Amino acid sequence: MTDNSLVAVLKKFETEGLAAVRDASDSDALEQVRVDLLGRKEGSISLVLRGLSDVPPDERPTVGQEANRVKEVLKKAIGERESSFLEGVSVEYDDLTLPSRANWEGAIHPITQAVDEISKIFRELGFTRARGPEADTEWYNFEALNTPLDHPAADEQDTLYLKDSVLLRSHTSPVQMRTMEKYDPPIRIIAPGWVYRRDTYDATHTPAFMQVEGLVIDEGITFVDFKATLAEFARRYWGPDTEVRFRPSFFPFTEPSAEVDVKRVITRQDGAQEEMDWLEIMGAGMVDPAVIENAGYDPERYTGFAFGMGPGRIAMIKHGVNDLRRFFENDVRFLGQFTS
Amino acid sequence: MNASYRWLLDCVPGLKLTPEEMSEHLALRGAPLDGTESPGKGLEDVVVGRVISAERHPNADRLTLCEVDGGQGVVSVVCGAPNVLEEAWYPFAPVGAVLPGGLKLKKVKIRGEVSHGMLCSAKELGLGADHDGIYQIHGEFIPGESFIEAMGLDDVTMDVEITANRGDLLSHLGIARELAHSGKGTVLVPDFPDDPEVSLTFERDVEDARLGPVGIRIDDPDLCSRYLGAVIRGVTVKESPAWLQQRLRGAGARPINNVVDATSYVMLELGQPLHAFDLNRLEGTSIVVRRPREKECRFTTLDEEHRALSSDMLMICDLEKPVAIGGVMGGLESEVTNDTVDVLLEAALFNPQSIRATRKILGLSTDASYRFERGVDPEGIELAVSRAVALILSTAGGEIDGPVLDCCPVEFEADVVSLRMSRIEQVLGVDFSNSEVRSLLEPLGFRLLDEDEEVVDVRVPGFRSYDVTREIDLIEEIARTHGYDKFPAEMRPYRPSNVPDHPIFELEDDLRRALASRGLFETQTPAFVPESEGDVQVANPLTSTEPFVRRAIVPSLLRRVEHNFAHGNRDVRLFEIATSFRKAGTGEPPHEETHLAVVMTGRREPSHWSRQDEFIEAWDLKALLETVAHISYAGAAKIAIVPDVAAPFHEGTGFGVINQEGVNVGHGGLISSSDIDVPVWAGDIWGFEITLPSNPLRLPAPEYVPLPIFPAIERDLALVVPTGCTAAELDLVIQDSGGALLESLEMFDLYSDPENDNEVRSMAFRLRFRSEDRTLKDKEVDKSVGLILRRLKEQLDVEPRG
Repeated sequence: MTDNSLVAVLKKFETEGLAAVRDASDSDALEQVRVDLLGRKEGSISLVLRGLSDVPPDERPTVGQEANRVKEVLKKAIGERESSFLEGVSVEYDDLTLPSRANWEGAIHPITQAVDEISKIFRELGFTRARGPEADTEWYNFEALNTPLDHPAADEQDTLYLKDSVLLRSHTSPVQMRTMEKYDPPIRIIAPGWVYRRDTYDATHTPAFMQVEGLVIDEGITFVDFKATLAEFARRYWGPDTEVRFRPSFFPFTEPSAEVDVKRVITRQDGAQEEMDWLEIMGAGMVDPAVIENAGYDPERYTGFAFGMGPGRIAMIKHGVNDLRRFFENDVRFLGQFTS
Repeated sequence: MNASYRWLLDCVPGLKLTPEEMSEHLALRGAPLDGTESPGKGLEDVVVGRVISAERHPNADRLTLCEVDGGQGVVSVVCGAPNVLEEAWYPFAPVGAVLPGGLKLKKVKIRGEVSHGMLCSAKELGLGADHDGIYQIHGEFIPGESFIEAMGLDDVTMDVEITANRGDLLSHLGIARELAHSGKGTVLVPDFPDDPEVSLTFERDVEDARLGPVGIRIDDPDLCSRYLGAVIRGVTVKESPAWLQQRLRGAGARPINNVVDATSYVMLELGQPLHAFDLNRLEGTSIVVRRPREKECRFTTLDEEHRALSSDMLMICDLEKPVAIGGVMGGLESEVTNDTVDVLLEAALFNPQSIRATRKILGLSTDASYRFERGVDPEGIELAVSRAVALILSTAGGEIDGPVLDCCPVEFEADVVSLRMSRIEQVLGVDFSNSEVRSLLEPLGFRLLDEDEEVVDVRVPGFRSYDVTREIDLIEEIARTHGYDKFPAEMRPYRPSNVPDHPIFELEDDLRRALASRGLFETQTPAFVPESEGDVQVANPLTSTEPFVRRAIVPSLLRRVEHNFAHGNRDVRLFEIATSFRKAGTGEPPHEETHLAVVMTGRREPSHWSRQDEFIEAWDLKALLETVAHISYAGAAKIAIVPDVAAPFHEGTGFGVINQEGVNVGHGGLISSSDIDVPVWAGDIWGFEITLPSNPLRLPAPEYVPLPIFPAIERDLALVVPTGCTAAELDLVIQDSGGALLESLEMFDLYSDPENDNEVRSMAFRLRFRSEDRTLKDKEVDKSVGLILRRLKEQLDVEPRG
């Protein structure tokens, strides 16, 4: 008999012993296992150790150490199993109505969720996401977008200036120009991002808020594509029964310009269908040829459409939040209502 | 723009629309309503009463005791006004009526006499500031009839939202033009009572028009292209007739006197602002249109405000001094008063950009400046003058003196815009014929001149000369008038975007999901901060307390923690991804980076009956930081211990994040309690902030490692670690000396000896050895362990626990 084989025997003894401890269903059974493993009877560890005398003297300490380790492991396992009976853990399984052991649930901000839902639909429609700086110049925010600084349209967004001609962008539309400068058509992008305006806090205004911009430029893009794409978005977002209406409007960087309204059909708790009022969801239009020209494209060759919407407003409608300020207080009792 | 429903109907004879239908029509023409208002609002309880008798109150000289027929029998009313006339009609508020101020009338005893209601003044009805006494109304009435109906106040004032390009819609006639098209009517200027039907002649000159003692000269034709002046002599300034007052009230305007009301009426009807001067208060009875002289730096407008002038403003002057700020507001000294006899009526065309600049400097936007900024019809000015003159003659009497002086240094020339039929289809996706284009454009005032199958030349009317100058502007008119809803909306194939999805979005998505799934709430906080938290200043900040944009996000999150603490929320775990602004070079936009910030406080997990509560501590923060750094830098960033973490973190040692270039891109640790208002019960707050790469890399695809075939051998090492020696150092030595056979290393226990000042620590490691090509022998493992222990002793003076 070599020490190795004795070590192997000890290993096997340890594995089987631990299994027996685990299988013991009550204190009595466990006591029997303890006697079997650690007592002086046939098959116990004491008996195994009797073989130690056959081991060459210089290897005895190693084998002895291993035997002691196994003994300690088993003792500890028996002790733990015994205390589990004492604490009565198994008794608790009798009452499975006790509360579960949960983890904290976090949440993505409801306005980000709205941005994500909007983005998802447009990505399904072949759009990619683009980005631009939040502090930009008058050129990108106004002039490149066919908005002369001395035109009343430049006033409608009360702009926050940093210095000279540098400002905090008052809409995400500067991303249109920045994207067109960098890439050739076909352009098919959305640009979610923060915009800034000199608006005091109230139930529907904050001085900084999210906007989602969209731009499509290619040969052969017409008012029909414009209507089709945005109506498709609206139905995918608000439901297939949603009515979509395009109303004439004015934005310096689109022509023809439109406001897009939706009329939702809501299914109430009792199953009844309820038609809601018209709801303005975005400003949009065919990209003005002056903008296309400012981007360095040929406006005779390329046409396109652009749109912008406020996910904050959409989140308000979707969740029935009546005060925009709730979204910016970030009270965890509020944010906790939007776990997914 | 406030428009009167009745006035609009009068401009389009035959148009039959309810206010609701009109609202819908206008919305679909691009001029939706912001709301409606009733000019008689609050006067529902007021009736027309007839005074049967009026006597002095027996016990008070200044009071009148009246018998009033208010339709419900004759009652006695005590009146405080001295001017009550027998047999006259007055607005009467009977007992029980509520007046606009909220006053509810009760039966009261005044100096011993019972009063059953009140005869009202214009002021009490909210119809004017007349302090002189009660408001006598003229006409045939029935006692007790509704005051609102009797006065024609049963109109609807519509607040029409006019976009910045459509100055032509700032008038009833302009709005009527849009209604006429959709309602298929024809627009005309409505008749008014007692129209004297004068026919004016115009004395046209280039820069200097003169007639007898009256002269007009334009010195600065770049700011004023045309100036018309009509002289009316012998007027009687007084209250306007009822119909005119009703019109103005219906359009949300307040009547002042017949001359001023005539100018308001014409502006509201035709969009041309007018001004009436008291001719005899003009030095030299002349007008000079010019920029102010150097010494003319102050001017008092008719609202009695003293205004500072600047050199590029346009002033209307007499021979000596300014008398009005052109196109913005008249002057106090030359305004029409009750003593005015001779009037100079002004109608002019001012440069829109100049008016805009002037009103911005003055901070004074008026009905006139609002219209001039958006463009006033250069072809409608003569009609406006004729109309105003007729109104003044009709309501104030007097006579027109000579022809209208018409000073016109810059002649208006109508634009002719070429429209290619193929371009209409290229933009709108629908083919239009020449006759369709004609029927869409001409009702709006455009005229088709030359046309063939390819190109149409279109003459633009003066009132659209500001917003229709290009082919695309005409195409919009075609689409708008055809009706947006009539265009098909069928999806067609499209080419994929040539723009790649910006990788930062994907990274932000990954981070948001990772953090939300670990129990954190994403926040959104505005970027405005006090000076201490920002480098970049806002020139015109919303509040003086937050005039900067932030360079870091953690402070904003701490304000949110404070908010939550103030509402009793103890477990607060927040993160935000936002922009950090830093100063760049002169004239350059600031430097922007995207940051991710986290703050956490409270319990690690929700309380549970099976365990004790534990609280968030450094190790939780470190785990999160490791996750975030790993995702953000595609596995290439390392967490470092840095000695110099600054506020708002507890100063001193904290966590850092080192990117692949060795740059510290993040820091974190315990939040310093001096940076936040905390209640006594609040626990520690932990946080970090990391800069996200501007062009993030994707995590490489994991490379498969074959699963082991041969068994492993585990060994536990309990080590006594001297002061100053760190877990990382132990880790490094063990990994290094363990060689290829050491598969994994796990620290699983830490014990500080209290008898030794907790300075000598004991750490336990579990080492797992495995060979990929054979079953390891204990001897081999013993050899490795032996080497590890030797190296630990040599390099770190670490020994196994005895």
